Amino acid sequence: MTMFELDQRIAEQLTEVALNSSVQVRCGNSNAFMVTASTMVPLMQMFEMGGVYISGSRSAMEMIEAFETIGIDVSNIQFIDLVSSGVLGGTTTTRKNIHYVDSPIMLESILLRTLYLLRTTTLERNFVILDSVNALAIYNDDRMLAEYLHTFINTFRQREVLSVILNVPDQTPPLVLSNLDLYCTDLIDRGQVVIH
Amino acid sequence: MQPAAVYTRDRCVTGIHGLDEILRGGIPYGSTVLASGTCGSGKTTLAMEFLVRGALAGEACAHFTATEPSVKLLENIRQFEFFDMNMVDTGLINVFDMDVLYSWLGLEKSSFDLDDVHALIKAIVDIVNTIGVTRLVIDSVTTLCYKIKSEQLIRDFLFTLGKKLSTLGCTTILISEITSATENAHWSSFGVEEAIADGIVVMGDVERMGHLLRFLQVVKMRGTSHSRAKHAIELTPIGVMLTPMLKWGAQGDKQSKWGA
Repeated sequence: MTMFELDQRIAEQLTEVALNSSVQVRCGNSNAFMVTASTMVPLMQMFEMGGVYISGSRSAMEMIEAFETIGIDVSNIQFIDLVSSGVLGGTTTTRKNIHYVDSPIMLESILLRTLYLLRTTTLERNFVILDSVNALAIYNDDRMLAEYLHTFINTFRQREVLSVILNVPDQTPPLVLSNLDLYCTDLIDRGQVVIH
Repeated sequence: MQPAAVYTRDRCVTGIHGLDEILRGGIPYGSTVLASGTCGSGKTTLAMEFLVRGALAGEACAHFTATEPSVKLLENIRQFEFFDMNMVDTGLINVFDMDVLYSWLGLEKSSFDLDDVHALIKAIVDIVNTIGVTRLVIDSVTTLCYKIKSEQLIRDFLFTLGKKLSTLGCTTILISEITSATENAHWSSFGVEEAIADGIVVMGDVERMGHLLRFLQVVKMRGTSHSRAKHAIELTPIGVMLTPMLKWGAQGDKQSKWGA
């Protein structure tokens, strides 16, 4: 691994969560990737988990390359890319662990694709990382997004799949944020308050 | 005083992920179910999975195809990870081209009269009886009914066929092509199919900001309580998958490209 420094306190916090937990991970604009990596690495390395990464902020390819740059092998993680179908030519890849959904507006398709990928995995313990609520909020109505997160969290909780919801709080609609606070069982707060 | 035991009909477990849950256990045995949908909504895929799941359980299944050649149909179901060509080789899945059947019966004509309809019913029932088919799909009943010019004759055809198949213990899916799946639409092309069928499963698309999201909704199913909610569907290599459609997301329905 390179000199990239992970936030060890996140790993410590993750030792407290159960498989049917739903963790809201708050981050800021500048530390989003560090927080994401600091969450994924302990789940993969300490708890030997695999799962699905829903990539809504950046393309899956870009995320994979960023993870690989800091020495994280994500070949066992399935990526659902919500970004690249919006760019002609963006979906040409030889990576077998990247799956495309047409748009972040297709919320039910994202859920079904995740469930499909989880059904094909051989790992016993799995996570689903949603990156991020803010990306979904660009396209989706607040009420629909709040409803979706409710369904999303409960779907995976019922299946004993750890759900990790990445969120930049000051860019999240208040209705969605308050619902997220209500539904999630745990909070990892690395958000940065921005005063405008 | 003990509450009276609730009578429940035996079910044909479709094996389709989520659908049996919607139907509280499956389709009541011997039912005739109309699977109505717009083009590309997943009707044939759903029906084929119904058959392949049946074959996996050791049931003999038959598919009468009038919309695409059987060879092409079999090529398309290879996408299912749980499909094995041995199911066809061992006679668990039997695919019949309607054109070939018409030819056998001397029905190569543009319209059918009463005798032709009875000959067709007899041929289908004989095949079901001979093979011991317990799951049957006719794809599509719309194409077939175009040859039957009278509404009364269509009614008689579907009623008699459904009754005979039910007597044989065969659960049937009749695929119906419709041009609109919105709330004001008919669930069948001729209007009579929906009244005769024991169940109606509607499939279509909800348009959401320029994207089409497939949905399935069980409108009617005699002999069982069931969910009537709209469900989003995804066609995957492990079969059709369903999840309840977001309530706020179904609003786009009225702006459907298929018309309001």
